[in-house]
Amino acid sequence: MEAIIQVRNLTHDYQLSGNEMIRAIEDLSLEIEEGSYVALVGPNGSGKSTLARHFNAILTPTSGEVMVDGLSTADEQNCWEIRRRVGMVFQNPDNQIVATTVEEDVAFGLENLGVAPELIRRRVAETLDMIGLSSYAQQPPHLLSGGQKQKLSIAGIIAMRPRCLVLDEPTAMLDPRGRTEVLGTVKQLNSQEKITVVHITHFMEEALEADQVVVLAEGKIVRIGEPQEIFGGELNLEELGLEVPTVPKLAHILRQGGLKIPDGVLSMEQLVNSLC
Amino acid sequence: MLIEARHLSYTYMPGTPFQIQALKDINLTVHKGEFVGVIGETGSGKTTLIQHFNGLLKPTEGELLVNGENVWTEGTGLRQLRSRIALLFQFPEHQLFEETVFKDIAFGPRNMGLEGSEVEKRVRYSMELMGLKYSLYKDRSPFSLSGGEKRRTAMAGIMAMDPEVIILDEPAAGMDPLGRRKFMEKICMLHRDEKITVILVTHNMEEVSRLADRLFVLSQGKMVLEGKPSLVFNSPDTIREAGLDIPSLTYLLTRMRESGKEIRTDIFTVEEAGEEILRFCGEANR
Repeated sequence: MEAIIQVRNLTHDYQLSGNEMIRAIEDLSLEIEEGSYVALVGPNGSGKSTLARHFNAILTPTSGEVMVDGLSTADEQNCWEIRRRVGMVFQNPDNQIVATTVEEDVAFGLENLGVAPELIRRRVAETLDMIGLSSYAQQPPHLLSGGQKQKLSIAGIIAMRPRCLVLDEPTAMLDPRGRTEVLGTVKQLNSQEKITVVHITHFMEEALEADQVVVLAEGKIVRIGEPQEIFGGELNLEELGLEVPTVPKLAHILRQGGLKIPDGVLSMEQLVNSLC
Repeated sequence: MLIEARHLSYTYMPGTPFQIQALKDINLTVHKGEFVGVIGETGSGKTTLIQHFNGLLKPTEGELLVNGENVWTEGTGLRQLRSRIALLFQFPEHQLFEETVFKDIAFGPRNMGLEGSEVEKRVRYSMELMGLKYSLYKDRSPFSLSGGEKRRTAMAGIMAMDPEVIILDEPAAGMDPLGRRKFMEKICMLHRDEKITVILVTHNMEEVSRLADRLFVLSQGKMVLEGKPSLVFNSPDTIREAGLDIPSLTYLLTRMRESGKEIRTDIFTVEEAGEEILRFCGEANR
């Protein structure tokens, strides 16, 4: 598999007032394979969002290099091509909604790309259906609840069919069903459409779904591996401001109490099966 | 302070093509000193409901009573009501606006007509309450704080009004797990030590099942379930129809019980669940 995003020795400083600076990312290297599903976790202020904003050239390196599909983000001429290939969904949907009806909002990106009207209509309908917003197509977005707005902003990006989708805490405001739907959609886009997914989250349960988990702290990668490697053992995630998800935590308690719970039990269904 | 809703209904933009009925015939009571959770899927009416509790919205039909009095009867003093029943909105850090943490927190008490040393006393008290050291933070710009500190500053601004009831709308959304846990511990402390009534709106079933005395479950503007967490989550079908989910531990313990094991299902922490499963397995092996 080829890497769609290559980060080499990236450092990013934010300039504050005067000569003050904050180093958000320090000498970080990472490769994201085409078609993979990568979860990015770490406490607030660890650099997750800063790193993700390098993936589609919203930020450019203070030093080091970020290559997207072979294009350097430092070269301004590559900017639009990179943003066509890497779509970004942010934390707050209110900042991402532009149009006066739901369907127009989904069409906005496609119109900007000059897609033919017929195709726009089809893509918009498909996307709304996929995200579960079809019945709201004609509604003004401000009447949607917070969670529905978040789904709408995801729909706006998905309609453009990017090669890579970067999601910055997309489910922070969603209810359990909304979360399940959005995660299901993201997984489906990854497995069926082969879209690369980079998913920033504070929900460790969500990170269990990824092929690879990257743990950041203070602008550096402190751990990287499959979910089982990150959450399955006795790694002290609490020290990093993170939490061990319910299932591995409970499995650990039960093993210490003398029960035989197989290694690699990460989902509740697996735990139920080993206990019933 | 007692909050009651009687046959409360609310319609957004009545008489227009966009008319939407957000609440239908809601009846509920929140008692003094209680910790209640309000859960429901997005668009179920949670936020609309809590905005009635401190008089931000006026019921289209029915009544909202505080200590037995209709808050919309003339002369009840809505302004006074809002300082006694305080509401922390979603993403409260967006509402910080002053130059210093002190001024931001002092805004509420000043609006209540307080002055000088009384304001300072309240700011100092509520900052310490929220774990913001007075001398360290009072002169800082609220915009230079971390996400967690901003939330606590917003919360201190609420506490400086010395409310009897606090209403929290997804107060910990977007915080990292540790920050979230610490923030919620503060809220529990206020409830336990200061005897403050807490009304918590959340999508986190694990958290609310652990913290709340009682839950209100909304679906499409109606109250579909109400009661203790163990009772509410004992109706998994209704919970799922409402677009929610039972806590994962409840699911595990229920499945074990269904397979014939004599195990408790009213447990909401990982540690207790571990103990209960080990207890059961220990006895089964004897």
